[in-house]
Amino acid sequence: MLKIIIPTIMLMPLTWLSKKNMIWINTTTYSLLISLISLSLLNQPSNNSLNFSLMFFSDPLSAPLLVLTTWLLPLMLMASQHHLSKEPLIRKKLYITMLTMLQTFLIMTFTATELISFYILFEATLVPTLIIITRWGNQTERLNAGLYFLFYTLMGSLPLLIALISIQNLTGSLNFLLIQYWNQALPDSWSNIFLWLACMMAFMVKMPLYGLHLWLPKAHVEAPIAGSMVLAAILLKLGGYGMLRITTMLNPQTSFMAYPFLMLSLWGMIMTSSICLRQTDLKSLIAYSSVSHMALVIVAVLIQTPWSYMGATALMIAHGLTSSMLFCLANSNYERTHSRTMILARGLQTLLPLMAAWWLLASLTNLALPPSINLIGELFVVMSSFSWSNITIILMGANITITALYSLYMLITTQRGKYTHHINSIKPSFTRENALMALHMTPLLLLSLNPKIILGFTY
Amino acid sequence: MNPLIFTTILMTVLLGTMIVMMSSHWLMIWIGFEMNLLAIIPILMKKYNPRTMEASTKYFLTQATASMLLMMAIIINLMHSGQWTITKVFNPTASIIMTSALAMKLGLTPFHFWVPEVTQGISLTSGLILLTWQKLAPMSILYQISPSINLNILLTMAVLSILVGGWGGLNQTQLRKIMAYSSIAHMGWMTAVLVYSPTLTMLNMLIYIMMTLTMFMLFIHSSSTTTLSLSHTWNKTPLTTTLILITLLSMGGLPPLSGFMPKWMIIQELTKNSSIILPTLMAIMALLNLYFYMRLTYSTSLTMFPSTNNMKMKWQFETKRITLLPPLIVMSSLLLPLTPMLSILD
Repeated sequence: MLKIIIPTIMLMPLTWLSKKNMIWINTTTYSLLISLISLSLLNQPSNNSLNFSLMFFSDPLSAPLLVLTTWLLPLMLMASQHHLSKEPLIRKKLYITMLTMLQTFLIMTFTATELISFYILFEATLVPTLIIITRWGNQTERLNAGLYFLFYTLMGSLPLLIALISIQNLTGSLNFLLIQYWNQALPDSWSNIFLWLACMMAFMVKMPLYGLHLWLPKAHVEAPIAGSMVLAAILLKLGGYGMLRITTMLNPQTSFMAYPFLMLSLWGMIMTSSICLRQTDLKSLIAYSSVSHMALVIVAVLIQTPWSYMGATALMIAHGLTSSMLFCLANSNYERTHSRTMILARGLQTLLPLMAAWWLLASLTNLALPPSINLIGELFVVMSSFSWSNITIILMGANITITALYSLYMLITTQRGKYTHHINSIKPSFTRENALMALHMTPLLLLSLNPKIILGFTY
Repeated sequence: MNPLIFTTILMTVLLGTMIVMMSSHWLMIWIGFEMNLLAIIPILMKKYNPRTMEASTKYFLTQATASMLLMMAIIINLMHSGQWTITKVFNPTASIIMTSALAMKLGLTPFHFWVPEVTQGISLTSGLILLTWQKLAPMSILYQISPSINLNILLTMAVLSILVGGWGGLNQTQLRKIMAYSSIAHMGWMTAVLVYSPTLTMLNMLIYIMMTLTMFMLFIHSSSTTTLSLSHTWNKTPLTTTLILITLLSMGGLPPLSGFMPKWMIIQELTKNSSIILPTLMAIMALLNLYFYMRLTYSTSLTMFPSTNNMKMKWQFETKRITLLPPLIVMSSLLLPLTPMLSILD
């Protein structure tokens, strides 16, 4: 694992020592090369994890997430080039350093064996994200957004620290590789109920669960493009990954403790999808759609069946790529009109036809069109929740419909119709933007040919 | 002040604390405290104005009362045990009185009222000495009597201190008062774990002193005493803004900075001793502290030019020399990976 971590750390001296005209080229190229290294981890010969050392390991669950993380860094760098072009050189380097630091912490989080080290790195990802959102966001609301982001996550995760330490006292070790072998059922008592809650709330806030999702629209909307991309694509999946890891230790309480959260998620996904239909702010629409998709992942993780785990993993990867792409598209609009209002920039298909093709593809994957991996994820979750309880099919079906509705609403509002007269003079699409969209879309389309690698450890 | 006299007085302060930390006779400890107190008064009053006089008087009164209470506890201990050596204090009355006296010296709730007012009234350097060096002597006595301290009183004081340190600092814009409330909260963390593992108290003290030293050095460097004047740092020395950000986040206890290490170790020690609600409460209340540190970082480092700023630019005099700032900054932010080294303390 050091073969990925050390090059990522060394990206920081690379940025600080690069010349002014080479800074973006150097970092983007080298981060693309690092993402190629992580692809080798996808070759998992058996369901047992690939253990690299006492501290790092990779498993069919964490390998796709790791590949997504390393794939996303060059994309973030490419997306940030335009809005940072007028900044002084040191601030550009600081921005790239923050992204690289975040990347390092994320890689270490996804591959940590010891759960306390997972916790420390999980918290450590907050600091660079906070700095990116608060320092380089564009509106004054970003200060509030940063505070909400930091404090919601910290309030959820401090009980997790205490729960992890008390589990370590009880069982002697928190090394994940060991725990999966001598797992025993948690005795039924009030304090174990609180232990369950303490373990799960951190990840519920991060996912986010419907009632605790208030930080997400703020943070996503106020963040600059790289911040939005990494938040939507990876940081939300940290919650899902953590839940998937920690539920192995929390049986059998999960069977009854999960009910409130299942209810909240099932209801919440419909509510947030419906809110998307009434949004005027483009980034806010995509943020709420993230909440809706992640609610599906929460449902899948809490049901705890092999198919639902496959669905959860596939949905996480698919949603990561899709919503990151949607944020890039929204950003391309924002860079031209400096407004996030959807109706201010409509009818773009006439002006930017190639970008309209990317909008179409992104919207289609967002609404889970077959045969994309989004469909595989959603379908597996729908099927496993049907087997858990027949009535959920109504809610799931309604959610799929409303998702289709708002994705098409977004597509039609921004792309179709007559364009407004004030966007006559927008710049045409840059090659960089088209490359960015292509790099998002290509893994999505190619994965539909071999989805086995993202189906996680219950395949 | 005449440099020779200043040196003598400073040496007396140091000597007083050293006598407290190294004696085995209770009377010598009391003498050390008194020496420390009397010698620090001129240092607190380096600038001669009514505000400083008021702050020094308040400090003197509270510390003298605490010393007298300490003396009473020593005499009661003498009455009941018949000897002057420092060991754990066997008599419960003496133990309670001694704990209260030391709490007054440290600034634990409910004896915390003097800390913000005294810290605000004196200059930044004197405030630095007050909040870091002066805590060493009482803490060393607490360390030595730790087996006999009444757990209820100590934990109540600790939890209340963390609460007061968190809530009290929320409404402040004066940097010295913010540092004072942060000191109250950190003292609360330190005393909470005193009975379980005094070594962790010392660890927390060490890291707290490093972080507070760093913060004060950064404030002294830009001569800023209010949040508003701190917000001009990007104009004077832009690098300092990053350093203030890192150190403040470290004081707030965010991983991966070294301020997280004492909190983590304390939570671990408390959980090992089967108290789970207490560390949860303490950890959540430490978030209040983090809130007003974040507010400071917002006005200093995280908002960019041309943000609106109501402060008139101050004259920039020649740069003050800050000793030891780089190693202090490194130590106050990057020590977390060295946590496994703490096993040498066992």
